[in-house]
Amino acid sequence: MEASLRDELVRLFDTKLSRQMLLNLETCSRCGLCTPACHAYASMPLPKYAPAFRAEVVRRIYKRYFTALGRFAPVLGEAKPLTDAALEELREAAYSCTGCRRCMVYCPFGIDTQQIMSIAKLLLIGAEAAPEILSLLADVSISKGESIETFKEGFLQGIKRLETQVVARWKVEAGTTPIPTEVEGADMLYVALAGAHSIIPAAVVFNAARENWTLSFFEAVNFGAFVGDPGKTQLILDRIVREALRLGVKEVCICECGTAVRVAKQLSGTQPFRVVSLTEVHARYLREGRIRVKKLPGSHTYHDPCQIARNGGVYDEPRAILGRIVEDFREMSPDPKYNWCCGGGGGLVAMGEDTLDFRMRSSRVKADQIRESRADVVVTACENCHTQLENINAHYGLGKEVKFLSSLLADALVAP
Amino acid sequence: MATLNYLILVPMVYVAVAVFVCGTLWRVFRLLRSPRLATPLAIYPVKKPGWLYAAGDALLLPTVLRHNPLLWLALALFHLGLLALCIGHLELVADIRWLQIVPHAIFLGKGAVGLAMFVCLLYFLSRRMVSPTKELSVPEDFLLLVLLLLTVLFGAQMDWARNWYDYSTMSVDDYRAYLWSLVTGKPSIASVEGAGHSFMLVVHVFFANLLLLAFPFTKLMHAIFTFALNRIRRG
Repeated sequence: MEASLRDELVRLFDTKLSRQMLLNLETCSRCGLCTPACHAYASMPLPKYAPAFRAEVVRRIYKRYFTALGRFAPVLGEAKPLTDAALEELREAAYSCTGCRRCMVYCPFGIDTQQIMSIAKLLLIGAEAAPEILSLLADVSISKGESIETFKEGFLQGIKRLETQVVARWKVEAGTTPIPTEVEGADMLYVALAGAHSIIPAAVVFNAARENWTLSFFEAVNFGAFVGDPGKTQLILDRIVREALRLGVKEVCICECGTAVRVAKQLSGTQPFRVVSLTEVHARYLREGRIRVKKLPGSHTYHDPCQIARNGGVYDEPRAILGRIVEDFREMSPDPKYNWCCGGGGGLVAMGEDTLDFRMRSSRVKADQIRESRADVVVTACENCHTQLENINAHYGLGKEVKFLSSLLADALVAP
Repeated sequence: MATLNYLILVPMVYVAVAVFVCGTLWRVFRLLRSPRLATPLAIYPVKKPGWLYAAGDALLLPTVLRHNPLLWLALALFHLGLLALCIGHLELVADIRWLQIVPHAIFLGKGAVGLAMFVCLLYFLSRRMVSPTKELSVPEDFLLLVLLLLTVLFGAQMDWARNWYDYSTMSVDDYRAYLWSLVTGKPSIASVEGAGHSFMLVVHVFFANLLLLAFPFTKLMHAIFTFALNRIRRG
């Protein structure tokens, strides 16, 4: 590696050294308690998949460039310089971690492996060694924000085509738009994904609840967060923030996408609007009696998306919804805080086929957990989890049905 | 030999304590000087008051108890032992009345504390020799454990001798005369020189000095950082 690149990477590293990060880097006693917490390790017991080992890959570089012991006695902490080999280790560490933060529940100190991996991801970007597909997708999202007009027409035509499907499932009063867009002064801005599956059921439920809503021009998914680029993460989020401010909405509702929910909730800053997840909105409709539902047959279990539940606190709402719409609900994990990650987070699912083999091998424990739930339908509220769970279902031959919570709720709607 | 003893028992102690205090303050200062992220980084559900739960996490190690009860037992014994030894050493420096609310002989446990810590340290070392903790370990981890083991062994040896086989060539007053002379800045090792246990003392103090010197530069800082980090996890 050239000296100039190394200096640049050390400078990038330095930008990540917040107070929280220093604590994460300087506290680990390498007790190894986190080891069984990782689904990758639990599925494939190799030391490199132990969270503390992953973190140590970053920590070794930290020690070398930022600590006294690492500079003067590197052998004691196995401090390592930044080399091409070190970059390869960083890549393996960062992209075998889904950022589920289950290890953080085990750690006696509360060390945040996801945060530490964000350094690895940033260094990979700096060295132009980050997964190209994620960088590309992030750039596409950003350029879309910069030139709304060029794609607006196509987007509106696409939405028009979905409207008949929305109306087929829930009739709206004459004169009401089934999928409203650009409604200034709407109460809620709904930020969906590109697929119809994230728009139609949500629209059906909004209309049933007579919500004064409007659909965002942008997709909620934040590839900037997956690739670990703080600047791009913020740019992608800012498109939505600007749109919400322009329309003057009271609430921004993020679709079933764990990362998007967490990023929007935790990085939007103080705004005149609130950020909520679709699941929270649906639970509120039921609580306030704004929609009526029937109970669906069959046994159902719920997979808590890590970024929404363990890292976002939305535990009760999906259970409140399922309690009203299914006859037979079975918990997947005795304590949802300990639910196994699906194995698809952190950009792994977005990287598609490239990561499929690793995703399947690292989710053996998840497959076992689903099997042991003995439910016929696995419900979840995150796009990545859904894709990964379907892959697991096929790979391990579980014979389950995987459904979105919003879609299940739309199925359960009954006329008032 | 006398010179070496003096160097270890007086100047090295001063240097070690100075490095320990200044280095630790520097590490904490560096932390406080760095920018604070505004992002919430808690694990949910969050319980209130957060500081109380965070203190509970840091002091009682509930996650260790849940996932590795044997390790928890060893950690609890070891850290409580450390606390008992801190009290013991304070009382060795001077008569501290409020510590004698429950009257006790100086150094609690009649030698059991040192023994328990020695056994715990052997256990910690043995854990580091088997996978997966083996692969996670770096030389620093072994070095600190060996330093602790040696410090505890030679320190406990003096305690065991007094308690178990009636070999007390140095009394509490002798130790106190030495330590108090250090505290008051008029160092004298006369009271701990030439006795049967002088060698033990010198070796004990030597390894303890190394530990103090290492403290600010190693993971031993977890003793302080655990509170801040647990606070972040609790929101």
